[in-house]
Amino acid sequence: MGTLNVEGLSFRYPRAGDAALQDATLVVPDGGIFGLLGPNGAGKTTLISILAGQLRGATGRIAAGGEALEAVRRSRPRFLGLVPQEYAFYPMLTCAENLRFFGGVQGLAGARLKQRLETVAAFARIEGVLKRRAGQLSGGLKRRLNLAIGLLGEPEILLLDEPTVGVDPQSRAFLLDSIRSLARPGTTIIYTSHYMEEIEAICDHVAIIDHGRVLLSGALAEVLQDSSGLLTLHLRTPLPDALASDWKGRYALREDGAARYSLRVPGAAQVAQAIEAARAAGCEPLAVGYGQRNLEQLFMQLTQRSLRD
Amino acid sequence: MRPLIALWEKEWIALSRDVHGLAVLFLMPAVFIVVMSLALSDAFKGDPGRGTEFAVISADEKLADLFTRSLAGDGFRAASAPADEAAARSSVRRAKHKLVLVVPRDFERALDAPPDGRRTPPALTLLADPALPPAQLVAFQQRVLGVALSLRVSAMTRRAGIPTDAGAFDLKRAATLAVEVVGSTGRPSSVQQNVPAWLIFGMFFVVMPISSLFIVERRDGTLARMASLQVPFSMLLLGKVGPFFVINLGQTALMLLAGKTLVPWFGGEALALPARWDLVAAVAACTSLAAIGWGLAVAVCARTLEQATVIGGVGNILAAAIGGIMVPRFVMPEAMQTLADASPMAWALDGFHAVMLRQGGAADIALPCLKLLALAAVLFAIALWVHHRRRVLSPAQ
Repeated sequence: MGTLNVEGLSFRYPRAGDAALQDATLVVPDGGIFGLLGPNGAGKTTLISILAGQLRGATGRIAAGGEALEAVRRSRPRFLGLVPQEYAFYPMLTCAENLRFFGGVQGLAGARLKQRLETVAAFARIEGVLKRRAGQLSGGLKRRLNLAIGLLGEPEILLLDEPTVGVDPQSRAFLLDSIRSLARPGTTIIYTSHYMEEIEAICDHVAIIDHGRVLLSGALAEVLQDSSGLLTLHLRTPLPDALASDWKGRYALREDGAARYSLRVPGAAQVAQAIEAARAAGCEPLAVGYGQRNLEQLFMQLTQRSLRD
Repeated sequence: MRPLIALWEKEWIALSRDVHGLAVLFLMPAVFIVVMSLALSDAFKGDPGRGTEFAVISADEKLADLFTRSLAGDGFRAASAPADEAAARSSVRRAKHKLVLVVPRDFERALDAPPDGRRTPPALTLLADPALPPAQLVAFQQRVLGVALSLRVSAMTRRAGIPTDAGAFDLKRAATLAVEVVGSTGRPSSVQQNVPAWLIFGMFFVVMPISSLFIVERRDGTLARMASLQVPFSMLLLGKVGPFFVINLGQTALMLLAGKTLVPWFGGEALALPARWDLVAAVAACTSLAAIGWGLAVAVCARTLEQATVIGGVGNILAAAIGGIMVPRFVMPEAMQTLADASPMAWALDGFHAVMLRQGGAADIALPCLKLLALAAVLFAIALWVHHRRRVLSPAQ
């Protein structure tokens, strides 16, 4: 499909005060998983909805492979697939009937429809429940059916809007593995979540959105690189008061949680010294981070608040 | 075409699994047809059933007998007379008698006096139950005055020495009057009124399943998903038309069958089936399109299931109340009859009556059918316009 370019996209809901999206600009490379990270209400779903053609009236430009997205979708109706946050299927229909219906509205029929139905059912591992009514499935199976429906038309861009909300850890792991396996040249996945662990686990590129603005966008490995001298420590026991007080003055120590700390150290030599000092105080390090930050820390640096706030 | 077939199939499956919704669409009008046809059968005949009982009190037994014989018939039945006027008043107050005519002692003498315009005419008193329908009271008054007039004319001819027999001035013998009903029976019978009326009401009730399923689709994101699949909104609306059109035609066939078989089975009159089934189908089709258009407009305009239920339900009941479904239009006052012309249910009823009651042709159903089709087009356009203006299928952010 080529690169998806979003330029200066703005959108305001009718009668809403603030804009849901303000001058959003993104470059989504072909053939990977692009994560949209942000707290609830940040504008992720609005962006997804505009890309999916649900919302009209946005200003700005969206192009796929250099051509306006709308024109691409007119000529290739199955170019883009959406897996909404909701269970967007019919609970009174069986899984197979749902798949047949959503395949049918995309123009699939006969042997082609049968083949696609079998493929996506196998991919989502729902072959065993095809005859069951969708409304009677567990949360995890409903999410899988939701994903399978999105894959019926073999979209070149697949929009996944919080696809793991409300599922158990086992189903979440399965869904993340499945989604990871979908990304290949010619198939791009745009994945929204407010779970930073998911974005870190499966995305190649990421954009952080807050209050309708894109705060940062780029390759995941690059945006997580940190040259600010941030050292993160997770210790077996909390630091003694004397050492903590010393580090507060010297390294701008900050407590991030139970026996979890962030420090600013001037160089790699001080990292070793700090670890040694902690050990000497009886606080065995369980995890040490330096030169790299996680998305939570990045979000905090950008917004001065936690992603979970 | 394939997407439209998929939409129809989905709608069929969803409907077939909504047993309660289907029961409402088919059983509700059938029950109304049977109950209302039976309950209103006498009212439509203009016959009070067993007949309204009356009695005559007079000191002159011969005169009382003459009045009683002359007044009986045409829905009025003679009952035993109370002992006196006080007993008669008490009897009427307790609703034992509906009507009691009190003939004064000197009535016959007063009849013999020559009419010269100065004298007060002979006086009669009619005691009436306040619950008696005004039309019956007026009818009985006219019968009493008719008998009094014939007695008076008999007295005059007697005085003039013209020989006449006792029944010479009976009003029924004044002339023969043939009443010719043009078309069928002119006014519908109970079953002829109630079958099409409650069929139309049931047809318009598709507003409920159409709007509820549509709002659930919007709430659950299936409409958003279909928008992302480039399914045009107009096609989504057309996806509702096919299945509900078939349901409406099914309702028509079954409700006519109920009028033909079920109502007589419960003791009512059987529905006279129309000669032109093609015209019945045409009226049913136009009614169906208007009803489905109404359902689509409510579905798109209402934001919640509760809103759809209130707008759809109350709208239907209002349209039925003013459109002659619940109360036949011919019993409404003129202003209400004019207002009834604004109800699409009245247009549909006009169409069905033109075919089923007056055995009319295509020209007779043209106007009601055109009105219904125009309404369907307007409602469909409203649904598209409101959707376009909202721009937002799912307000989730």
